[in-house]
Amino acid sequence: MKRQIKTLLLLVTAGFLFVGPVHSKERINIPLSFDHYYTYDMVGEALKALHEAYPEKTQLDLIGKSEEGRAIYGLTISNPETGPALKKPGIYVDGNVHGNEIQAAEVCLYLADYLLGRYGKNPEVTQLVDKKTFYVVPIVNVDGRYHFFADPNTPSSNRSLRRPHDDDRDGLVDEDFPDDLDGDGNICQMRKRDPFGNFKTNPEDERLLVRVKPGEKGEWTILGNEGIDNDGDGLINEDAEGYVDGNRNWGFDWAPEYVQSGAGDYPFSGVGIKAIAKYIIDRPNICMAWDFHNSGGMYLRGPSNKTQNEFPRGDVEVYDYLGRQSERITPGYRYLIAWKDLYSTYGDVDGFIVQLRGAYFFCGELFVSASESFKSREEEKRAKPESGDDMSAYMGMGGRQLERLQFSDNLTQGELYKPWKPFKHPQYGDIEIGGWVKMSSRLPAPFMLKDLVHRNASAVIFSAKQTPEVSLEVFEVKKIGKDLYRVRTRLSNTKAMPSMSYLAQKVKLYPKDMLTLQGKNVEVVAGGRLTNIYFNKVEYKKYKPELQFTFVPGFGKVEHQFLVSGKNEVTICYVSRFAGELKKTVALKEGSSF
Amino acid sequence: MRKIRFITSAVLLSAGLWIMPGRADVDFNRYNTPEELCNILKEFNRDYPGVTRLHTIAHSPGNRMVCVLEIGPECGLEEKKLPAVFVAANMGGTVPLAGEAAVYLARLVLDKEDMRKDKTWYILPCGNPDGASSFFSKPLFSNCRNGRPHNDDMDDAVDEDGVEDLNGDGIISTMRVRDPEGAWMSIPGEPRLMKRADWSKGEKGIYKLYTEGMDSDGDGSINEDGPGGVNIGVNFPHLFKFHTADAGAWAGSEAESFNLIKFIMEHKEIAAIFTFGQVNFCLIPPQSGRKAAVDLSRIKIPERIAGFINADPDKTYTFEEIMELVQRLVPEGMEVTESMVAGFLGLGAVVNPLEDDLKFYRELSEKYKEFLKEKKLDDRLETPRASDGSFELWVYYHCGLPSFALDFWTLPKVKEEKKESPEITAEKLEKMSDEDFIALGEEKIAAFLKSAGAPPDFKAKMVIDMVKSGRMNTKRMAEMLKKMPKPQSKEGGDPKEKALLAFSDKELEGKGFIPWKAFDHPDLGKIEIGGAVPFADNTPPVRMVAELLKSQVPWVFELVNKLPRVRLAKTEVTSLSAGIFRLEAWVENEGYLPYPTAMGIRNNRILPVIVSLEGEGFTIHEGRKRSQVSSLKGGEIKKTSWILQAEKPIKLTIAVDTSTAWRDSKTVELGGKK
Repeated sequence: MKRQIKTLLLLVTAGFLFVGPVHSKERINIPLSFDHYYTYDMVGEALKALHEAYPEKTQLDLIGKSEEGRAIYGLTISNPETGPALKKPGIYVDGNVHGNEIQAAEVCLYLADYLLGRYGKNPEVTQLVDKKTFYVVPIVNVDGRYHFFADPNTPSSNRSLRRPHDDDRDGLVDEDFPDDLDGDGNICQMRKRDPFGNFKTNPEDERLLVRVKPGEKGEWTILGNEGIDNDGDGLINEDAEGYVDGNRNWGFDWAPEYVQSGAGDYPFSGVGIKAIAKYIIDRPNICMAWDFHNSGGMYLRGPSNKTQNEFPRGDVEVYDYLGRQSERITPGYRYLIAWKDLYSTYGDVDGFIVQLRGAYFFCGELFVSASESFKSREEEKRAKPESGDDMSAYMGMGGRQLERLQFSDNLTQGELYKPWKPFKHPQYGDIEIGGWVKMSSRLPAPFMLKDLVHRNASAVIFSAKQTPEVSLEVFEVKKIGKDLYRVRTRLSNTKAMPSMSYLAQKVKLYPKDMLTLQGKNVEVVAGGRLTNIYFNKVEYKKYKPELQFTFVPGFGKVEHQFLVSGKNEVTICYVSRFAGELKKTVALKEGSSF
Repeated sequence: MRKIRFITSAVLLSAGLWIMPGRADVDFNRYNTPEELCNILKEFNRDYPGVTRLHTIAHSPGNRMVCVLEIGPECGLEEKKLPAVFVAANMGGTVPLAGEAAVYLARLVLDKEDMRKDKTWYILPCGNPDGASSFFSKPLFSNCRNGRPHNDDMDDAVDEDGVEDLNGDGIISTMRVRDPEGAWMSIPGEPRLMKRADWSKGEKGIYKLYTEGMDSDGDGSINEDGPGGVNIGVNFPHLFKFHTADAGAWAGSEAESFNLIKFIMEHKEIAAIFTFGQVNFCLIPPQSGRKAAVDLSRIKIPERIAGFINADPDKTYTFEEIMELVQRLVPEGMEVTESMVAGFLGLGAVVNPLEDDLKFYRELSEKYKEFLKEKKLDDRLETPRASDGSFELWVYYHCGLPSFALDFWTLPKVKEEKKESPEITAEKLEKMSDEDFIALGEEKIAAFLKSAGAPPDFKAKMVIDMVKSGRMNTKRMAEMLKKMPKPQSKEGGDPKEKALLAFSDKELEGKGFIPWKAFDHPDLGKIEIGGAVPFADNTPPVRMVAELLKSQVPWVFELVNKLPRVRLAKTEVTSLSAGIFRLEAWVENEGYLPYPTAMGIRNNRILPVIVSLEGEGFTIHEGRKRSQVSSLKGGEIKKTSWILQAEKPIKLTIAVDTSTAWRDSKTVELGGKK
């Protein structure tokens, strides 16, 4: 109860203190601005504003509602004048699956704002919006985003879906959250003077602590996150919200809670997650998907765990091409394989999209701590290269703490770090509260936000450009007998992505692309894939030769040959989930041109 | 319209006759469709409004209801204090008997007040109504798939090439076609049955077999894309199989399965789950011996993690050792759970039943076998093993509950005729003198003649006379014997099909098996149609049903009576002077089954027993206000103790709470006058 009142108070103050210059009552202007973070409500307003500003190029869908009844929105960006959205390659982008990983939604908003704002001004963007369909879902965990802003948090707390879970197995649910003892809207750290403690004051900066070496006298004990023992069980903060992880609750290769924390009771137990899955299923043209998180600066591809097979070679080539390019677009980010280079996961969105929808997928882990730099060129040269410090950085233990603190002092005037202040704790007595604030550690300071969102949106745009673009030509009509013609067709793809993933073909996920030849009073005597044009080698299909199942590789072509008996003309149709639909009609006469 | 007459169990039992509720004027002489099963539940609900509640948990793609009848004293309440038993039937949709058993059980529970006074029952008579309706459709064809369209052959049409009743007999059976590439032959000793030709025995196949039907879409394949859909019976999350034709896109992809999973997970009071179908865990405990992704006693730690936790990447560790390594690294107060570490290392899921659980499965299986023997129902074919992705495996592995799968009928075993090796063979006869032969005597010679396949009028005495007179001798007889056609082998073929044929001949007037008959097939030319009738192998004739259910369904009560039941066995208050007291409470599981199962401990789903102190005016010096007793095996007692301070005499309640094994409490006095 006490917590709730506090939450209400915070709700009132949070907007002013931490959100930045814009707050929810203010009208959202287009183009959107990216020098601040958008609250849950503001993201909804921004999407509505985008839709109002560009009604003909956008569609705003209510995908579903969350556990706490908040709306999950999806914005479709597509030009209906150049064809229906579902007949164009679809690029799905979402973010903020984890409640605290908020800048992911800004990447989504920026992408939408940029594509719509530059349409008609920049020919590349115009072409993209004309030829492709973008599905943008800025916030997956809408409750999480709401509570991250509204409630006191650490940079890493409040990841979960709001599904009650008894973390400490005492029969009570979500009964011991961290508590904002000093009422500043942050959950910081608690420390207590203790001659037997493991830490002492860092001689370089008295705000920081360092571990004592053997033989050294201790000064401090770190007591963990700000909070009290709400339920009187002798533990502090042991049963906060959830934990059900929105990125462990999907249907593909889901594993139960005891295999991996955050799984939830069963696949798609999260009501919002289930609704989003349906949204994706209803858009079978989605061939590229991005899911943005923080942090660490990574572009991760699957497989998600080692029990899943490595992707087929052809797919790995696509990933490598897109991944390497993304690394160049966003300096400091690494292209990695999720299970091998990071850790194994089960039931993530990656598996669902790749293995059950047949699309290509990247998980973008936004923000590198190294971008919070405070070094001259000379110092930079002298400094040892840092490695893998991002995880420890937001745990508050990293070696870069001092530099980050100097960054906070000199580039945010101290806003990222709260100086230690005494506090009378009901259980621990005299303690101090301080440390990294909620809007630090995993989030860029607002002045760096625009660079982050622009670069990552650019990585999305590069991948969108590489979705398949297939053209159909009939490159030969040759008379080979009385009323008998040989018709040769070529499907070519000018982009990196094939018209169907190799994985989808391997597991027979859905029917392959279909190439049909039809005509009035026309019989297709034989038809098949032309494998060698010089020696006229064809893999003829025994049954129904007028219908060929096929696919077009990235930067490649596929040719077919039909032996057609009849007169007049024939129509050749190509239908692909990813590459849309094409049609050509040619006359059955020698040397007919197309 | 329908008249219902309910008969009390006493009358019912004394009459020795089960009369189907909802159709009281009809004897049990038919199986009920999924719709009828739901209607029966509705009628139960109408007739027992106080103790029943009907849940419609889903609609199938074929627009059939999935109904659960709740029976129990708490049926109006959302929050249950009493444990519950869930019974799911016919999840695969191909076992009509299972649905009848579920309704039979519901009837018994309604009649037996003592079986529902302290627990809730949830009874689902048909978990896969679309599949189950195939038993009632014409032509007869066993189809476990729900009504969701699925493109099996991934061509340009969906559900376009299913089976056809070509010979118009109302039954989809088998087509056999002579084909040079055929792998099948008929069994020489039983030409109605087919077997795969075994080249190592010099056999050659001559037939190809197909399910009855034709190539409806002209793609060169027969019946390659029939109607439906997902087999609900394998659409559950344990060892779910991806990328197959009929298991579904993911576990719980269907309304029928998703809502059932949700229902069970949300009803935390469910203490045990029965699955009526064709698998029988009461007879054969859940299968062991599957290779797990990682051997938990020999884990190799990947190099990048090894450095982080100070482990040697070239060594193997036990799970416990790794836990220790990790625990050392985290700040004090931060709890590292097994599931966190298992997730970090990617250890994957448990795939074999845990040894402690197999103990009760084995013990109960022995008892069940005795039970069946008493009922003279033990002479039956083995039941199949549980499928990956099945409901019953999910119950054990993911719910952490005792999972009791039960079936109620399999074909009787075929009594193998004893082949006595004949005393006299051609080879022996050849070496025998005529005198020795005559000396064998009439009886042995008669037996020899019978085994050699001599005509019945060819009597032993006659042969002896012939030999005596010289018209016949042993050499010639041996020659003749060698020329005789050998008795044809009945070896090979599916034992289940053999059992079906025997049962069909004996009990079904041959109607379980269609004789092969020539047919002119539009695609295949001259063929024959015949073979097993669908459902004949798992669905007994209706005249047997009543007795089968009456004798077997009550085993459910035997098992339910073995559920864990937690109580406060004893409490003790010891005064340590100056207002300080030691309070001790012994918590007992007085049931047979453990609380929870070993798997329930492993998967963390079942909460520990919570022992809490309720009252005012005391402070705790040792112990916790809410203590946990993590587990209690059958009959086990564990002690919880506190040191308390109470200035004034107070009353204090010790409450023992579980969600699936009942509750108990006791009030003790501290500092009061004894």
